[in-house]
Amino acid sequence: MNWRFGLTGSTFDPLMTSHWALAAALLLPLVFGALAAIFPPRRMWPVALACAVILTAGIFLLIDTRQAGVLRWQWEFSGIGVALRLNGVSMLLLLLTQWLGAAAALYTPGLLRISDPERFARWLWPLMGAVISALSLAWVATDLLTLYIALETMGLAAVAMLLLSGQADALLAGMRYLLLTLVGSLAYLLGVALILGYWGRLDLAGLAEVVEPGPVAWVAAALMGAGLALKAALFPLHAWLSPVHSSAWTPVSALHAGLVVKASLFVLLELWSILLFETFWAPRVIAWMGMLAVVWGGLIAWRAESLKTLVASSTVAQLGYLMVVFPLLLGPDISPLARALAWDGFWLQLMGHALAKAAMFMAAGNLILATGEKTLEGLAGTSRRLPLSLLVFGVASVTLMGLPPSAGFTAKWLLLQSMVISGQWWAVAALLVGTLLTAAYIFRFFRYSFMETAPRHRYQPLAPGMDVIALGLALAAFALGLLAHFPLDLLHGGSA
Amino acid sequence: MIASVDLIEVVLALCLVTAALFCLFDRHLLRACSFFVAFTLCMALAWLTLAAPWLALMEGIIGALLTTPCFFYALGVFTPASEKLPSHDHFKEPLSRGVMRTLLALAWCLMVGAVVRFIFPAMVYSPTEHPLLLAGVVMVAAAMGAFAWHRHLVRRLLAFNVLGSGVFLLLAGLAGTDPQGQALITTALVVAWLGSLLGALVIRRLYRLEGENALLGSRGLKETRQ
Amino acid sequence: MTTLLLILALGWPLCVAALGIWQAYRTPVARRRYFTGWWLSAAWPALLLAYAGEAQWAMDAWMLGSQWSLDALSRPWLAFTALLWSFAAVHARGYFAKEQARAQTGDSAAERRLLRLALLWPVTLSGNVLLIIAQDIASFYLGFAVMTFAAYALVVHNGTADAKLGARAYLILAVLGEGMILGGLLWAAGDTQSVMLEGVREAVATSDYGVAMAALLWLGLGVKAGVIGLHVWLPLAHPAAPAPASAVLSGAMIKAGLLGWIYVLPLGEASLSPALTQLGNIMLIAGLAAAFGAALYGVWQHHPKAVLAYSSISQMGMLTAMVAMGLAAPEVWPLLLPGVVLFAAHHALAKGALFMGTSISEHMPRWSPVVIWMLLALPALSLTGAFAGGLISKWSVKSALYEMHHETLISLLTWAAVGTSALVSVSLWRQWQQRSAGGSHPGQWGAWLAALVAALITPLWLPLPEGSAVVPPLKEWTSLMWPLPAGVLVVAFGLLVTRYGRLATPPAGDLWWPYAWLGQHVLKGVRRAGHGFAALKARCVDIALAIETRAMKSVTQLTAMEGWMRHHTSGLMMALAVMLALLLLWEGAS
Repeated sequence: MNWRFGLTGSTFDPLMTSHWALAAALLLPLVFGALAAIFPPRRMWPVALACAVILTAGIFLLIDTRQAGVLRWQWEFSGIGVALRLNGVSMLLLLLTQWLGAAAALYTPGLLRISDPERFARWLWPLMGAVISALSLAWVATDLLTLYIALETMGLAAVAMLLLSGQADALLAGMRYLLLTLVGSLAYLLGVALILGYWGRLDLAGLAEVVEPGPVAWVAAALMGAGLALKAALFPLHAWLSPVHSSAWTPVSALHAGLVVKASLFVLLELWSILLFETFWAPRVIAWMGMLAVVWGGLIAWRAESLKTLVASSTVAQLGYLMVVFPLLLGPDISPLARALAWDGFWLQLMGHALAKAAMFMAAGNLILATGEKTLEGLAGTSRRLPLSLLVFGVASVTLMGLPPSAGFTAKWLLLQSMVISGQWWAVAALLVGTLLTAAYIFRFFRYSFMETAPRHRYQPLAPGMDVIALGLALAAFALGLLAHFPLDLLHGGSA
Repeated sequence: MIASVDLIEVVLALCLVTAALFCLFDRHLLRACSFFVAFTLCMALAWLTLAAPWLALMEGIIGALLTTPCFFYALGVFTPASEKLPSHDHFKEPLSRGVMRTLLALAWCLMVGAVVRFIFPAMVYSPTEHPLLLAGVVMVAAAMGAFAWHRHLVRRLLAFNVLGSGVFLLLAGLAGTDPQGQALITTALVVAWLGSLLGALVIRRLYRLEGENALLGSRGLKETRQ
Repeated sequence: MTTLLLILALGWPLCVAALGIWQAYRTPVARRRYFTGWWLSAAWPALLLAYAGEAQWAMDAWMLGSQWSLDALSRPWLAFTALLWSFAAVHARGYFAKEQARAQTGDSAAERRLLRLALLWPVTLSGNVLLIIAQDIASFYLGFAVMTFAAYALVVHNGTADAKLGARAYLILAVLGEGMILGGLLWAAGDTQSVMLEGVREAVATSDYGVAMAALLWLGLGVKAGVIGLHVWLPLAHPAAPAPASAVLSGAMIKAGLLGWIYVLPLGEASLSPALTQLGNIMLIAGLAAAFGAALYGVWQHHPKAVLAYSSISQMGMLTAMVAMGLAAPEVWPLLLPGVVLFAAHHALAKGALFMGTSISEHMPRWSPVVIWMLLALPALSLTGAFAGGLISKWSVKSALYEMHHETLISLLTWAAVGTSALVSVSLWRQWQQRSAGGSHPGQWGAWLAALVAALITPLWLPLPEGSAVVPPLKEWTSLMWPLPAGVLVVAFGLLVTRYGRLATPPAGDLWWPYAWLGQHVLKGVRRAGHGFAALKARCVDIALAIETRAMKSVTQLTAMEGWMRHHTSGLMMALAVMLALLLLWEGAS
């Protein structure tokens, strides 16, 4: 399993361009964010210019990774080791972060222009930069210290971003999120303390060699698992998630639901694959929780009164799909084919959901911004005036529902195959029930939006590009299903 | 010499635990925060006894000088009386909740303690050899329990800080004070400070916007229905 | 050249229809003429095509690949069909002259009716032409369906209650028939994996279920050809339809069913299965039953066109019997086929002339009545087989049967001719009774006379193989002629009898009425059952709604759990950590 994360296997000296590209990918978001705090951009083009530089760095890294398979960096500063690596998975997630971040950043000037001027609006830029930098770092870091720094930076910046809207709801939810995410990190840190105390090292590659099953590994895994599950909003520790989104700014929600919660999940999977490989019960418990998450998230979204709660609860359910895969990735007695399929399906689902959820949040944000209504009933009859936003919502929900040919479909297809091969019928049932529930809550919203009972006359016009960016993301999620062999090639090529 | 060091450590550990418990369970908020100052100072001393002057310095600067003002700011010590927070947390948690949390805290205590024992098998024979480690275990469990128990935001923030210190003690006790551990603790200290700062700002603003109820982390039924 | 003619034969009628639309769009109602010269020419390219010689076309692009051909069978068929359509068109121009005048003076109902007829007439024609030349399933079925459904406009034209009843009967049975044809064709095509009619014949002959396919196809096509039991639309539709429409319905379109049988049934093929032979026997009996039954029932009818419709059923019954021989006694078929074609062609023209004649007797030209009634009688005489074309066509059938020693069938057919004679004499008698002067349009009587002449000299112009139409030897003349006086005598005797004992006239459409009664009762039962099911459904929906409301309420209550989880997140996290640790320790220890 460790080779899949690029912790073992051949090493290759990165090229000079790779060094620079990595530095650019990790630091430039911070730099540009700080710049934007000083000179807040009013138009889209300066943002686009900044994003282009970062995206170019990402492309450079992609080319190098494709050639080398795994890129590895290792530094030591007075006894403190820092280890980074880029393999297929982390490259894919890095690219996803950069593009999604770029979309969120491009969306922001329009949003800030048409919404009321906020006192803290300019702070959004550095925080967004910090989140993107921290996310990039989380994907590439391979030692527990760097991972901790990345997770904490990401968590604190994300909380701060979510608090920016300044309303009482947001503050309450944000405060809860802040406390929980900090405590979750402390649980992680406690696990790190046990590991450091017993094995005396923090780099994952080294740990992968020395770790052997024992009480330390188990308790550390349990503590880290619980802490990261809290940060990743895994059922039943998910309840902080939907209030956080209910009054957050749209690009913040898009970034948070799309990527931030996934980072904790990624770290969780990576650590468990080292500490708990081929254990039966722990992944199984996560999978059961995942099944409940699928059902519960679907039910909550189905009965939701506000659109943002619907979208946020759907995140809980979609994360459930990822949890259900845990036994296939970590459990014993899984055939190599099933494990490979589950691995592919896991990341494809993660990426498809990230794109689709970001698009959905943007579409929902557009609808709410244009009408000034947050509840489903209040949004009745928007179909006539805001068809594009609804279209984006629809295309994104195709991915969430897993209809062909979206990424959601391809991912679920791979997962179903893997589950059938390994005989996990409960997981299959959860997947199917989840799909039905997804359809139920999506169509509930659509039914409201096509009602023509209450004609509305006042619509806030949207800034140009706000719908287009969302549509681009939704179509990307859609196209990811059709072009799934590109990311899958990268997954296989980068980790083989 | 060794005995004296041990004695100092034992006393320190006791002071830490006492300060932590007062800090966690005193309903008088200002007093709890004052105990936190004492707790931070004890922590700095503990780092000194663990031969980590750098950490002691950081603890002194970040913990005592930066974090504690955050709490006093949150309580409204620096503001006119009308904007001060109520001095007591009057919220009575249901008994079942308290019992459950106590049990969970005990379970954590046992769990962490068992692993610590596994890492240091010698502890069975001389339980007092690592008093700070024991204090860490107790603090982690108690703070975690208190964090889960309380609903007052300031008290939860305090519990988080105590929990953090407990984890640092455990870290230092288990791994010694090698550079990696120090780096981890320093990072965590900065994070805790930033978190406390952010929390204090939010608490202040929430109190101004929503009043006393908001400090319990809920706004009645409205939020639960969302 | 032939290909150009083919394109014209199929395309020209459609162009004519398009032209009609264009004209209706351009010219004001007061000056609009529906039956222009272009309209009359719709069938001419098809007629020319029939005389252009044999040819074959194959097109892969057209509907799964198609094959069209003009051979010894389809050429004469196309010839008489197109000829009849041409005459009927000319007749129609005269027949509808008054209605057109009414339409021009502002009768919008008449205008709408005429426009509908003028548009769908050429469309029906093109369908008829297509099905004759088609050798592949798709084209054949397309032609058949286009013809069938477009002809609805011809039947319903008058818009009276009778016309609507006739049209409804026509449509119901047509849909039934189309369904059976499509089922049979698809079944057979699926069986042999072929899209050609040849494949259908092969499937019917060789498949295990061949007899079922054959029965489906026989009955489906039999709706058009008036197989007994499915014939009920004929006596209802014909009296109500305009005379030219009746002429093409009874002359040309009814023959499409016959041609369809010849195309899809493995007639005359050696070593057919016993089941198919059995089906042949059933067809034979059905055909003879129709031949006699229609005569017995038809003589009581009042309306001359109803009588003629029964005569058509009777004649088609004879043709059914002959086709049945192709299955029951395959060796006779090659000899019989030219006779069947000639018989069909002669019947088409003669029946066309008779139907047109009904409109002549209703508007008698200012000629000597003797001439008129003699001319009216001529096609009737020919149809009985006692005269001219009829004599030769009947002999060509009989001689083939003689050669193979099927004397019983011959004598039965001869007896059936008595029925024919009786029917045509009754028809003339009814025409005499319902005659009225009033003068007719030259187109009307011109087309009638032309059809009459064409019927009498059918063997001369029909492009049949050499030697298939010969004048019977003199000694056979009596056997061919005697049914005529016999039939006339029967009718005269019947008239004498009925003069003293009054008998109620049985309604036209015979079995239709029991069918309708049965259908209505079945429908009533179905409707009652439907009401019952609707009530049951409503109750189920109510119950489901109640359950849903309750379930929704509990689900909504369940969502309150979300709040609980929100308040206890940190506790749950502690519990999760403890549980994971315990599980891992337990698993590691065991």
